[in-house]
Amino acid sequence: MENTITNREAEPVAESNDLSLVLTPLEDLRGFLFHHLGRLLLFLITSSSVIAVFLIFFFVIREAMPFIKEHDLIKFLTSKQWYPEADTPKFGALSMIVGSAYVTVASLIFAVPVGILAAVFLSDIVSFRIREIVKPVIEILAAIPSVAYGFFAVLVLAPWLQNKFGFTTGTNALNASIILSIMALPTIISVAEDSISTVGRELREASYGLGATRFETIFKVVLPTAHSGIIAAVILGMMRAIGETMVVWMASGNAAQIPAPWWNLSQSVRTMTASIAGEMGETVKGSDHYYSLFATGVLLLILIFTLNLISEYFLVSAKKKLGKI
Amino acid sequence: MKYNTRHIINKIFTVVTAASVVLMIVILISVLGPMIWRGSSAVFFKSTVEFRKMQLDLHHRGDEAEIGDEISKSEIYRDFIYHKIDVFKKGINTDYYTDRVKQIYRKFSKELQYNGIKGDQLSRRRKFARGIRRDMEKAFKSLDKAEILQIIDDVNKCKGDERIANTKADEFFVLADEYKETIKNFDLSKRQQYAQALKEVEGLVRQLLGPRSDEPLPAMVMDRYGATRVDLAKELLDKIIWKRQWVQQNPDKPMVEEKVRRATQFAGTELESIFPYIEENFDTITIPRFTFYWQYFFDDSTSGHYFGGVGPEILGTLILTVLAMAFVFPLGVISAAYLVECASDNMAVRIIRMSINTLAGVPSIVFGLFGLAFFVLVFIPFFGGPSKPCILAASLTLAVLTLPVMIRASEEAIRSVPKTYKEASLGLGAGRFRTFVKVTFPAALPGILTGVILSLSRVAGETAPILFTGACAFGSVPKSLFSQTRTLSYGSYDIAVGDKIGMLVPHNQYGMVVTLVLLIICLNAIAIFFRAKIFRRLKGH
Repeated sequence: MENTITNREAEPVAESNDLSLVLTPLEDLRGFLFHHLGRLLLFLITSSSVIAVFLIFFFVIREAMPFIKEHDLIKFLTSKQWYPEADTPKFGALSMIVGSAYVTVASLIFAVPVGILAAVFLSDIVSFRIREIVKPVIEILAAIPSVAYGFFAVLVLAPWLQNKFGFTTGTNALNASIILSIMALPTIISVAEDSISTVGRELREASYGLGATRFETIFKVVLPTAHSGIIAAVILGMMRAIGETMVVWMASGNAAQIPAPWWNLSQSVRTMTASIAGEMGETVKGSDHYYSLFATGVLLLILIFTLNLISEYFLVSAKKKLGKI
Repeated sequence: MKYNTRHIINKIFTVVTAASVVLMIVILISVLGPMIWRGSSAVFFKSTVEFRKMQLDLHHRGDEAEIGDEISKSEIYRDFIYHKIDVFKKGINTDYYTDRVKQIYRKFSKELQYNGIKGDQLSRRRKFARGIRRDMEKAFKSLDKAEILQIIDDVNKCKGDERIANTKADEFFVLADEYKETIKNFDLSKRQQYAQALKEVEGLVRQLLGPRSDEPLPAMVMDRYGATRVDLAKELLDKIIWKRQWVQQNPDKPMVEEKVRRATQFAGTELESIFPYIEENFDTITIPRFTFYWQYFFDDSTSGHYFGGVGPEILGTLILTVLAMAFVFPLGVISAAYLVECASDNMAVRIIRMSINTLAGVPSIVFGLFGLAFFVLVFIPFFGGPSKPCILAASLTLAVLTLPVMIRASEEAIRSVPKTYKEASLGLGAGRFRTFVKVTFPAALPGILTGVILSLSRVAGETAPILFTGACAFGSVPKSLFSQTRTLSYGSYDIAVGDKIGMLVPHNQYGMVVTLVLLIICLNAIAIFFRAKIFRRLKGH
């Protein structure tokens, strides 16, 4: 610090009279230009994420275009026949779309209650110290890479399920759903906890003051107030489950079928992400099959984009609502 | 509702919420526990003499004299076992005897020619020897013990005949006696059955002990050594001692696995004795020793990760993550700085924020598709690079993937710098740019670094985006940015489901994935620690 001060004093400008503080028109112009050009440059760099999103949409859709042009989109969305390499190839992605929805919903059935309860526990029940111990557990659950979860599903969970419940195969919808729910938990917990904590003391204290128990306060006051944030949490967890690739590819068994009695979790299913990951390596670039996988990618992108918009709507409305109170 | 019921419900609720957190901790432990436990056996294990031999051959590790001593010690036992197998094999595989009898005949006729015997004499004597040869071949082929003994007796009667006396043909009788000895304890009717069982045993013994000392070096490295680890050796030993077969006890019930002592299969033969022999001398043959194989993290592996470590995978992961970070760090920090310092709440900024959120939600496999469609097919060829999956494309894809993580973390870090810092700097007359570079950024740096570490751990674990953009399961250490690389994440996938050899070496399967998980957990632990420290400092402690 001292060094810079002595340097400043050595500058001739400091010795001249008061006029030096007034900028010449040229300096003024330069400062103005620098300021605005700098801002523009920073703005351009910051828009790189917009450009990235744009490029992702553009290039994935561009590669999917030949398929969309040549094939019946309605058939793509409603047919169950997925035989991309047959002599007369059939591209019906319905079983994959259903598969994605199936494992996602199944995983949320477990993850949502556990996640919300854990969020309530962390925000309303335990002391700060315990929260500091539990938080890293959630962070590590979130940090474990999906391929490690997939590994666990294939080599540990699948044989266990097979031996314990006598399933014909251990890699099935149940296995994938269990792992997906573990992976969706951290997202649900952290977003839900955020929105539950922002509900604020006043509401809680008013409820306690009226003689409500903690259970009643949480269920009748806190959760209803925080409901938009919790819905956003569920949607974000859902996005995590739909977009997950390695786990479903490794654990779901990859049979392109819709489970026959719909509640039968022990059957193998295949999701959109898994079919892209599994088949892209085997296709010839430029074939119908190749383009159809990109079309599946477009479908995923649209789905995620819509879910993202919905979750954003709920997050914003949560913010507005709590801001007003 | 009664006061009591309300309180009981309240208590139950508290317990249930606590249970959900406990459940999560249990899940974490049950996912990580078995993996880390089994994965650690890739580094800490009991090695056999074969392991030390391999380390000496491939990497020149260990004391040559000492290992040589160990090898020669265990070789005595090995040779004995192989010798027993060879003897038994002769009884089954009579090609050996047929070859020898033909050889003797050839030697005999050569000897005659050498001695200058010609014409009628020669053909007469050769005809006699040929007769013996035919008889003996018949004996070797026969499955009837009485017939064989009869033939051998007949052959022995020719001993001392003047046509073949004192020639090489004497060896016929030695051979005949040898064969008689071999089949003495041998149930010839089971020859077919024995042949099958012996093939199995021989294969297993070879897996346990490695190739014989007089055999030429096998081409595949994985065939050159026996069981290198005591746990694998014990499994093999169990397979050698016990034969497993599926038995249908009841027509309605599923098949049941049954264990039979293999020794009973060979009851009454030469081979019976080697089973207890191997079992008793297991320690003397394998010479187990506790080993800390730290080179696991640096060694290359042989095909299918049968032997060796995860060195190239770690290197590839590091290259990818560091490159991706180099791309994303400036972008992320500048974007965050703009969003905090300059941005007002206008339309453009709202669009930017929405893009960041969208980017964070795009499925990783779609990033893979994007990387293939943009970086591999368009971007890199545009600058004159090759249009094929490579490290550069993979790391660029990962950089895009981790951009939102980086921006959010940096934004938070910059936002958490107290306003007073900035105001003090502005009050001293510094411009906004100077204030950011000299005051806000250094103060936010630890927080930004935490974000970097978190992004690193995210990038290191991603598999789907690099599937089509630069990862491969086999291949040498990458030489340039335009070659593909092995990574821990893709390797973990491949060794778990893509690779048949992987199933034979569970310790290496788990070792790979545990290396990845530990790397990521360590990065996260560092980040968590850092953050706690910053938090405390900003609070003024």
